[in-house]
Amino acid sequence: MAREHRYVGKNVIRRDAEDIVTGRAKYVNDLNFPDLLIGKVFRSSEPHAVIKSIDKTAALKVPGVKAVLTWEDVPDWKTGVPEVTRVLDKKVRFTGDAVALIAAETEEAADEALSLIKVEYEKLPPVYDVEEALKPESPDLYDEIKNNLLPSVDPFFGPDCLSDLIMGDVESGFSEADVIVKDTFSYENIPNPIPAEQPGVIAKWEESSGGAPESVTLWVSNQFPHLNRMILRSIMRKVDVRIIGNHCGGSFGTKLMSWQVQCYAALLSRAALKPVKMIYSKEEHIAAFVLRPGSRLRAKVGMKKDGTVTAVSGDWFVDTGYYSKTTQLQVAVGCGEAQIAVKSKNWNLKTNIVCTNRNASGIVRGFGGQELKCCLFPLLSRAMEKLDINPFDFFKKNFIRPGDGYYWRDGVWYTYRGIDFTKAIDAGAEKFGWNEKWKGWLKPASVNGVLRTGVGMGIHGNADVGEDVSEAYVRIHPNGGAVLFSGVSEHGTGQVSNFMKMVADVLRIPFEKVTKSPTDSLVNPNEFGPAGSRGTYAIGSAVINAAEDARNKLFEELAPKLDAKPQELDTEDGFVFVKDDPDRKLHWSKMGYDRSITGFGVFEPDFTLSNCMISFVEVEVNMETGQTRLLKVVNSTDVGMVIDPPGLKGQLYSCLGSSGIDSALFEETVLDPYTGHILNANLIDYKWRTSLELPPIENVVFETPMDSHCFHAVGVGEIATSPGPSAVLMAVSNATGSWIHEYPVTPERLLKIISEKTQKQDR
Amino acid sequence: MSDFNNKKSDLPVTVNITVNGEGFSFEAGERKDQVSSSETLADTIRNRVGLTGTKISCNHGACGACTVLMNGKPVNSCMVLTVECDGSSITTIEGLKNKDTGALDPLQQSFVDHTAFQCGFCTPGMILNAKALLDEKPGATPDDVKEALSGMFCRCISHYQVIDAVMAVSKEKD
Amino acid sequence: MRAFKHINAESVEETINILQHYKGKAKINAGGSDLLLVLKDSILPEYPEAVINIKNVPGLDFISCNDESVEIGALATLDHICRSSLLSQKYSILTDAAKSVAGPQIRNLATTGGNLMQDVRCWYYRYSAKIGGPVKCLRKGNGPCLAVKGDNRYHAVIDGKKCFAVCPSDMATALTALDAVVTVAGPDGKRAVPVADIYNPLDKNIKGDELLLKISFPALSKNSMQRFVKFTLRKPVDYAVVSAASTCEIKDGMVEDIRIVLGAVSCRPYRAKAAEDFLKGWMLDEKTAAIAAEKAVEDAKPLSKNAYKVDIAKSLVKDILFSFC
Repeated sequence: MAREHRYVGKNVIRRDAEDIVTGRAKYVNDLNFPDLLIGKVFRSSEPHAVIKSIDKTAALKVPGVKAVLTWEDVPDWKTGVPEVTRVLDKKVRFTGDAVALIAAETEEAADEALSLIKVEYEKLPPVYDVEEALKPESPDLYDEIKNNLLPSVDPFFGPDCLSDLIMGDVESGFSEADVIVKDTFSYENIPNPIPAEQPGVIAKWEESSGGAPESVTLWVSNQFPHLNRMILRSIMRKVDVRIIGNHCGGSFGTKLMSWQVQCYAALLSRAALKPVKMIYSKEEHIAAFVLRPGSRLRAKVGMKKDGTVTAVSGDWFVDTGYYSKTTQLQVAVGCGEAQIAVKSKNWNLKTNIVCTNRNASGIVRGFGGQELKCCLFPLLSRAMEKLDINPFDFFKKNFIRPGDGYYWRDGVWYTYRGIDFTKAIDAGAEKFGWNEKWKGWLKPASVNGVLRTGVGMGIHGNADVGEDVSEAYVRIHPNGGAVLFSGVSEHGTGQVSNFMKMVADVLRIPFEKVTKSPTDSLVNPNEFGPAGSRGTYAIGSAVINAAEDARNKLFEELAPKLDAKPQELDTEDGFVFVKDDPDRKLHWSKMGYDRSITGFGVFEPDFTLSNCMISFVEVEVNMETGQTRLLKVVNSTDVGMVIDPPGLKGQLYSCLGSSGIDSALFEETVLDPYTGHILNANLIDYKWRTSLELPPIENVVFETPMDSHCFHAVGVGEIATSPGPSAVLMAVSNATGSWIHEYPVTPERLLKIISEKTQKQDR
Repeated sequence: MSDFNNKKSDLPVTVNITVNGEGFSFEAGERKDQVSSSETLADTIRNRVGLTGTKISCNHGACGACTVLMNGKPVNSCMVLTVECDGSSITTIEGLKNKDTGALDPLQQSFVDHTAFQCGFCTPGMILNAKALLDEKPGATPDDVKEALSGMFCRCISHYQVIDAVMAVSKEKD
Repeated sequence: MRAFKHINAESVEETINILQHYKGKAKINAGGSDLLLVLKDSILPEYPEAVINIKNVPGLDFISCNDESVEIGALATLDHICRSSLLSQKYSILTDAAKSVAGPQIRNLATTGGNLMQDVRCWYYRYSAKIGGPVKCLRKGNGPCLAVKGDNRYHAVIDGKKCFAVCPSDMATALTALDAVVTVAGPDGKRAVPVADIYNPLDKNIKGDELLLKISFPALSKNSMQRFVKFTLRKPVDYAVVSAASTCEIKDGMVEDIRIVLGAVSCRPYRAKAAEDFLKGWMLDEKTAAIAAEKAVEDAKPLSKNAYKVDIAKSLVKDILFSFC
């Protein structure tokens, strides 16, 4: 059976490659229908206010305007955890909150109508700071939520959903410690992954007919149509929802939270009875779409000289903006991920999920764990400094090994049955030259005039590689080809092609003979989608199982004709043959020219495996200008098996962008507490990396077979961004000789810290 | 009344442009079938010419997704008014394929071979900027490529693979 | 973008004629890379009635150099400046500044005149109508300058008054170091304005019915040294956090003449005269350079969040002067 894979592990040209390089690939905004209206949103100028009146008469008179909707015109659709956030409300809760929706025949008419809407507000005091918001004297964003503190549990993860991380006895833990450190670190720059393609949708409303309910078909931009449908069904209640996926121009997790733009377009289509396209502007994408949750950790850690963490205790404040739909889930997974990186018997980490008057937080790759570790690792670093522990030794000692365990998102304890990642950790350090560069805590690796270099490292692992359910069909045809039915759409990782490669390898047919169904919730079985890190293991397993099921059914079908038992058969290039006598073979067409065989595959959740990513970084800080340059990155990982070499390379390079390392260097969403405005909501003022700054990145990849599926892989893509930011903070702290407590390390922040230190020394 | 007003106001202005070698003639005006004064070249290419490989992302001339070649030079088509394009020759991503053979441009083929994209949204802009560079400087160096692509926003960080793809086509002798 | 009346002007005279007719409600469009942003985001209290395209006005797109002076037409694109061998050989300060602006696609559109005349980049002023704007402020004639109490990390540190937005033009910084003047045409004929004097805290010294025609500056003497540097959070493509430009002549080891200009620190390119005066007649070495750098920012009065810009300005001046040593 140990035949070489034909496609998995090989550089196979992505199925959509030619579509992409020729401009043929269709993203939502590229679709066009007759009578298509353009939808736009009128947004609030106030961060917190009750709408007293909205005058839309002038807007309605603009030629070409077909609908103007306000909170009074729409059904009471709501969502959130808890369900308190309405699709349009009488109250606005952040600058940029939706006040009115417009559908018009042209962009110009819609813009003209937007300029004519008049709103009168009764202003309310806003609150922007996560701890400030918890005070009784602060304004409440919702009548239903006291002190802006949201429940920390989402029933979606089951009745025992992990919220606070509490186990053991922290008091006895602290008493065993050689050092105890208490400090506050925050990753609150709410960076935005800003995929190139902005959020958008086309909605087509259908009135009820023949007893069927009202329905809406949505052409969307995200990678998880079924999950998207589930969310919309919970909001629109009795309305039937069909989701059609397209090429997705990047998501990084965020676009699952597209319910708002989708509801707006659906409501406008319902009112105008024409299809409505709504594509957010980049300004809306940054100021009115989801951000990473803000994370502040006020905590205490105890550590022994040998790097054992004896206790972690404190408060994790998570700023979710004006509502939460997934923050509880991120907190649950984040608490789980903390245990994968840090072994401690005693935890008392209380989480506080808080509403503030800014646009909401949503899903971003790193899903809770990155947010928590960006604060927890610097805190642990302070303890390591006091004990003179090399962080490399610490992380190597603490990262999960077979037999260790963790409470995962459902509150259940799982024993890890994956591989030992020590090899990857060691090889990464070797490649980077960690031992030569590490000079001790708060010590630069080199000094050259005003330029100082420093090194740092981070590590991340995630047991959501096996989360949630996936289903797939594989239909095989008499011509020796196969169709994969899966609800995944391509969002840049190349996973759609990878799943087709898996089908081709299981069925031993040419890759060209495998196609995929359109991404349509009406056609495909349920698929949670490539959320978190689940693509390779969870979705891959369902796909593999479906292909194997189809193959087995084919063997059963042809076994009598070959006078053999099904288990004695194998297949290659559209022929089924007897393994011991390959000349006894039949072409698949013998199933009957008018037949097809469909296999069904399912994956059931498994939280006992984890992936792993380690990043080492070297930075150079100019002590005079406060500028930090990234000099070098080494990533190291063990993925079980590489499915797609160039795809993996691309995923590892993305450690820089989309809220990875750059969220520590210069990326931030600037929320101005003075006015409540997000001031850099455009691609000129929001800082992003250009091709002029590409540091050398070296990737070390191991392939230690894992007990996942027949390809022994677990993937790594999602978490490529996660170890980087805290590694940068560590490197900059070492270069400057001062602990940096916040992200990103802007010149403004660094020069303040450097000058305070100089003043202290002068005294 | 100044004569400019008489001269310009009532007569329909016609805008003639060539897109990928094909001539198009648009009338300026406020009707839906006419090009509005504020319509950008990006919108005209997408909505009137029907070529959607030219993407609109930031709409602020900062991301390069809407890059087209205008008389051979890369420009952000979201920052150009169509009514100011009379007489221009435009090349979009759809215009790079060899018209006679249907073969991909060597740069397009190299992007395919190097998987020099992830989500693909910025890829047309990447390719067109690289194309303009290599047309002008067939022996471009990696630094030339980085400079030529510096106006391209890519969040997937495809840059490393893009540079490999462009350098594979560049005639640079090292 | 909302519609407007669009007029293709064919001469300078016609342009001024149209500007007068619209009484301040018409905007000139050259490269479009700034005006279109202003229109797309609807940031102004009044949307312009007309946009005048001057791309076809003859005689404004040129670069000419001779032994005495250099002249650049208002319509010369930044790309044109970057590629001019005349300029890059003798005035790298200018080509370096042009190269530092935006990316190549924008430099192919953006003009030198437009770079000087672009509106400020203050993020309150620019806040888009699409997300709950526009924001009212003193520059728009209504309310205080929000940067004073708000997030002023990119705002003025020197000579700040009324409006704290900084001059966003990198070309203005370099051109001021070259002692450049612009020629503008208006209803009453032509006049010359030194580049640094174009800018006031709240507006510009070029009126609504005037058109910028060209930029000129005297030729640098053969042994002049020159340099433009720009500090951004990322490599170029960004607007400057601080920029600095200098031209310097050294004779017999002593500074004979020097101009030191800081960009993005004030509403106009800031001539660091105290530093210039200090250096004149002295030898330029590490010590005098460091003192001059201190003097260059001695008038700085930073706001709550932008003191770091003073340190950066100092460092840039020192770097430039070291490179002259």
